Amino acid sequence: MTAARVGIGGPVGSGKTALIEAILPLLAEVGIDTAVITNDLVTDEDAERLRKGGQLAPDRVRAVQAGACPHTVIREDPTLNMAAADRLETDFPGLDLILIESGGDNLASTFSPDLVDYWMFVIDVAGGDDIPRKKGPGILQANLLVINKADLAPHVGVDFPNMLAEATAVRGGGAVLPAICRKGSGIAEVVAHLRREVLFK
Amino acid sequence: MSLATIRAMQLADSGFPSGVFAYSWGLESALAEGQVCKRSLADWVALDLRTRWHRFDRIALAGGFRLTGEALSGWFETVDALMPVETQRRDSAQAGDALFASARALRIAMDPGALAAQAAGVGHFAVAHGVFLRACGLDLGTALETSALSLARGAFSAAVRLGVAGAITTQRDLLALAPLIAELAIAPDAQDLPSGAMLLPDVALMRPRQGRLFIN
Repeated sequence: MTAARVGIGGPVGSGKTALIEAILPLLAEVGIDTAVITNDLVTDEDAERLRKGGQLAPDRVRAVQAGACPHTVIREDPTLNMAAADRLETDFPGLDLILIESGGDNLASTFSPDLVDYWMFVIDVAGGDDIPRKKGPGILQANLLVINKADLAPHVGVDFPNMLAEATAVRGGGAVLPAICRKGSGIAEVVAHLRREVLFK
Repeated sequence: MSLATIRAMQLADSGFPSGVFAYSWGLESALAEGQVCKRSLADWVALDLRTRWHRFDRIALAGGFRLTGEALSGWFETVDALMPVETQRRDSAQAGDALFASARALRIAMDPGALAAQAAGVGHFAVAHGVFLRACGLDLGTALETSALSLARGAFSAAVRLGVAGAITTQRDLLALAPLIAELAIAPDAQDLPSGAMLLPDVALMRPRQGRLFIN
C-alpha cells in the first residue's frame, strides 16, 4: 500500500465536501491519481455528490457508513476505512492519494494515525470567530487547519484577520490556510501544501 | 488467570477494532418499524443469539476455526452460498474486510485459505472471525463464547447509540443473558451446515430504509 492517506475532518457544514470538490481538478491537472472515501453519518449523500460531480470515476468514490459515530470510524475503530482504502489500492494500482472525509463532527474529533498519514480540519467563519479560541483537538492537532467561507465574515460579524491570527496563535504556528471553496479562493494553496508536505510531487 | 482468558477478554472488548460497531444486523430497521422497543430489546437480542448466531454464525465460525488451506476457502464459498439475501452477503463480506484489515495492521497471520477467500470477495465475517480467533490462540469453546458475547454487546451498543436504551440498563440485560450465551456457545459437529431464514432478524436485514445510521 503506497498511496498517501489524507483525512479531512470538521464540523457539519464547514465545507469538507466542497473542499474536496475544489481540489480534485487541481490534483488531476498535476497528475495526482486520487480516490475518495466518504463517511456520511446518515446517508451516502456526500459520496453521491462527488460521484455526480464527475471529477472522479464513480468507482473511485467509496462510502463508509459510520454507525452513528463519525469519530469512532476515523479514530477508535478505523478498520472499515482501512479496509475501504486497501480495497481502493487493490482496484486502482498506482494511486497517489486517498482522501478520507469524516462525517461532520465536533471540535474534539481527530484521525487515528493508524488510518491516515496526514489530516486537515475544516472550520468556517459562520460557525463563529470563537472556534479557534475553544482549542479543540481538531483545531490544535490537525496538520493543516483550513478556515473556509472567508467571504462570509462581514455578514456574520467576524473579524477575519483576527480569527486567522488567533487560529495561528493557538496552533503554535502550525499551518492555517484561508479559503472560499465555492469560489476556488485559496484552493491552489491547499493543493500546493499537500504536494509539498505529503505527496512530494 | 490464563493467557487464553486474557486474550478472550481483549478480543471481546468493545474497544477492539474490527468494524462491527457500524453494524446493527437489522436492529435499526426493527426499532424504526416498531418490531422491537426498549422493553423488548433484551428479548430481541436473545432471539438473535438463539437463531441467527446459534444456527448460522456459530457453525460458520467453527468451520473457519477448524479448517485450513483449500478446505477453508471452500468453507467460505459454502457459507456465501448459504446466505440467501444479496445485501446480507455484501454486508458480511464488508465486515470481514474490516477484520482482515485489523489482522493486517496487528500483524496477525490469517490462513492463506482465508486470504484467498477475501480476495475472491467472499471473506465473510463469521468465518474470518473463527480464523482470526484461532490465530490469536483461543480454543474453539472460548472463541464461540467471544463471538456470542460480541454479538450481544454489539446489539446493545447499537441500541444505546440509537437512543432507545441506556448504557447501564443494557449492561444489566447483558448480565442476565450470560447463562444463555454459555448454554448456546457449544461447538457444532464438523458436518453441520449453517442454516439461514431467521425470520424477524433476517426480514429486518432485508428491509430497505432511507436515513440509516448503521450499515445494516
